[in-house]
Amino acid sequence: MLKRCIAFISAIALLINLTGCNTNNKKRYEAEFLSLFDTMTQIVAYADTKEEFTRFSQYFYDELNKYHKLYDIYNTYGDINNIKTINDSAGKEPVKVDKKIIDLLLLAKEMYIKTNGKINVAYGSVLQIWHDYREKGTDDPESAEVPPLIMLQEAAQFTDINKVIIDTEASTVFLEDAKMSLDVGSVGKGYATEQVCKMAEAEGYTDFLASVGGNIRAVGTKDENGTLWNVGVRDPDNEDDVLCNAHLSDASLVTSGNYERYYSVEGKNYHHIIDPNTLMPSEYFTAVTIICPDSGIADCLSTAIFNMPFDEGKAFIESTPNTEALWVFLDKQIVYSSGFINFLQPSI
Amino acid sequence: MDSKFFKKTDLWIIAAILAVTLMIFGIYNLTSSNKPAKAEIYYESKLLKTIPLDTGEDLVFSTPQNEKVVFHLYSDGSIKFESSDCPDKVCVHSGRISMVGQSAACLPNKFILKIVRENNSKTSEADIIT
Repeated sequence: MLKRCIAFISAIALLINLTGCNTNNKKRYEAEFLSLFDTMTQIVAYADTKEEFTRFSQYFYDELNKYHKLYDIYNTYGDINNIKTINDSAGKEPVKVDKKIIDLLLLAKEMYIKTNGKINVAYGSVLQIWHDYREKGTDDPESAEVPPLIMLQEAAQFTDINKVIIDTEASTVFLEDAKMSLDVGSVGKGYATEQVCKMAEAEGYTDFLASVGGNIRAVGTKDENGTLWNVGVRDPDNEDDVLCNAHLSDASLVTSGNYERYYSVEGKNYHHIIDPNTLMPSEYFTAVTIICPDSGIADCLSTAIFNMPFDEGKAFIESTPNTEALWVFLDKQIVYSSGFINFLQPSI
Repeated sequence: MDSKFFKKTDLWIIAAILAVTLMIFGIYNLTSSNKPAKAEIYYESKLLKTIPLDTGEDLVFSTPQNEKVVFHLYSDGSIKFESSDCPDKVCVHSGRISMVGQSAACLPNKFILKIVRENNSKTSEADIIT
């Protein structure tokens, strides 16, 4: 009987061990960078040693930094031609650029067509005005102003994306109109995230979670049991709670919201996502979250769907494969697309 | 009841072991998931301060690194960037955070505020909250 008892106890002990230690002694590591894309980048991974994780985070930083420099519209980096160079040469001459810029702009053009113009990287002239008024109004709230509509309308004449001439053979970009400019804020971060994650995967980093300013990309799983990455979506109307937890593997989640980047004029908040129809901050929703495999597309869609009336956006999402959305209305109502529920279960 | 393979006492022992195991497992799970989280403040990528969130204190404070960046710990266990001299105020707009996986940052002033697990155990908490 004693023998049987011991066998039983060891069986139970083994069971506890299996359930309690399923990360195979790998430790969780996290890293944050503040210097890229004017936002916070976070990466999370389970690794055997700190050195292993440090090597990974350095790799991720170095690669993402290349995209950061190329997609910058405010700064110049040595003799690298970036988006700012293209803007500075508007109306003058084509600029020879890295393939990373060509590919980004090709995706942006494709998404412009797909979303019926609800995301437009040629909107620089209008977005620049809002950017300047927002910065001035945040700095000195007493004198905060809304840009005059006439000024926005004038600028909106120079936003024709068809005048962004991409020559893939010569690897050049030319803005035909001297008064137009590119602003890749709605796609650059997401596209860069996607590319760096893919490259990291090819380098053998098979399981990690990356967030570049809320552009979340889950690669692989948390452990060898296939535990999915758990991504909480903040409730914009209740800081202490999440709307839901999405369980992801090889998928991206991106939220566009009106609650972080904004300024106030006479008690009314003006956020940073501009509706191309009204030239004013979009007023359909508080937040829109997109889940789809590709982070570049998720980034574009979160902005585009944020700028679409609900029925149009719902129809768009339901007809796009592998793509789900979550809408938070101004009256706090929440609507999920039909397949979103599949991500709310913590199993594959 | 007693057979060649099982004695009544065997069954009692097995049942007792099972009960104790379940109890220990339950307690372990409860304590590990209910363990209060803590907040960490980083400046220029270095950990400056670790703040327990379960003290019930209401505290407004800054750090010597930059006294214009002010933090507020609430008695309910949440914490936020109360104010900052940065141009965009995205840090302040991030609001109160309290859940593991949440974070806020003041880019111009190089501060990060994040909520972390008390230990390294894996729980059902979010890996990241956006």
